[in-house]
Amino acid sequence: MSLKLVRLDDRLIHGQVVVGWGNALAADHILLIDDEVAVNDWEKELYRMGVPPEMGVEFCSVTDAGTALDRCANSDKRTIVLVGDVETLLGTCEASDLVRRVNIGGVHERDGRSRRLAYVFLTDDEAAALRRLSEAGIEVTARDVPSSKPVPVWDFT
Amino acid sequence: MKQGMVRSWLRSLLLQASWNYERMIGIGLAFTTEPLLRDLPGGVEGERYRAALARATQQFNGHPYLIGLAAGALARVEHEALPEEQVKRLRTALAGPLGSVGDKMVWAGLLPVASALGMVLAVWVSPTAAVLGFLVLYNAVHFVLRGWALYSGWNGGLRVGQRLGARLIKLGLRLAGPLAALTVGFALPVVGAWLVRHLDAQELVGAGLIAGVGVVFARWVWPTLGGNRFGLAAVAVALLLGWL
Repeated sequence: MSLKLVRLDDRLIHGQVVVGWGNALAADHILLIDDEVAVNDWEKELYRMGVPPEMGVEFCSVTDAGTALDRCANSDKRTIVLVGDVETLLGTCEASDLVRRVNIGGVHERDGRSRRLAYVFLTDDEAAALRRLSEAGIEVTARDVPSSKPVPVWDFT
Repeated sequence: MKQGMVRSWLRSLLLQASWNYERMIGIGLAFTTEPLLRDLPGGVEGERYRAALARATQQFNGHPYLIGLAAGALARVEHEALPEEQVKRLRTALAGPLGSVGDKMVWAGLLPVASALGMVLAVWVSPTAAVLGFLVLYNAVHFVLRGWALYSGWNGGLRVGQRLGARLIKLGLRLAGPLAALTVGFALPVVGAWLVRHLDAQELVGAGLIAGVGVVFARWVWPTLGGNRFGLAAVAVALLLGWL
């Protein structure tokens, strides 16, 4: 299986993902699932600039996520899947059975959210959604960088 | 030219003075952007100026020399009165590429190149020439980069990604690493020869031995150790052996 990481991070493509996780997992492909980015050329331009030349990147909407996930999982590419919010994460998990574990990498402060970890802020609804995901058999852990310890979902939601 | 550009450029030099873990360079970005927001409809007492400035202080991170791309583009979309959600998305999308492009061009390119040329100047000309040469070369590129970033940010607006992806920047990114390797590779033997110029045959053998061990360490044994720590360890070992 070559979905090396499925990550929730509202900064989407940035140094921690590309350098930190990219190097640790020897990833060579990024699949960015986001309805807004998928239709905004200016956003795609910017996110492409953050990807080193030796890495590939593709964008898709939640509707197309199933096909894209299955294609990446069955290719010989080592893919990092990125989503920017809990809703998209749920859609991604629903879209393909090949998503077995998800990484909560960074959800930042916004109205209605409270601090769960230094890099995780969630509303009560979002926290409950992550717990349900875990109950449905998907491994949910928080971990910002590969060198830090994974925190199980029950310890931060 | 857009009103406030010079002031914004000057302010960008102080960008990191309010660095903190909560917002990183967010406050600095707001300080840099502020002169570009003064001519929003309503002026500095107006609602739009206040709302835009408050948005500008949010958390942000990116390379300090390229911050003009963010300041310019964000000021531009405020002038174009884009919805708040779009402004936020632009801000988020800018952070990643500004960091990676800046790191590659400046920290892995310009800085080692200028340092290596400074070292060569120190050996071939004089220490004063080295200091001046380094400062002039480094800051010539640095100041132009800041100015280019601000200009391109303002003119690019929402399409700032196209400016950041311009051919010249791509060329810079491709050349930065190899150019750094070339200049440092040239400077090291020049400086090495200068450092050992007064040593006699026996001392030369000793210096060569330490250099050889250093290469083996860096290449095979302990690549993450770094030159400074290896050097200090070598000095400690030498002191211990001398004392025994």
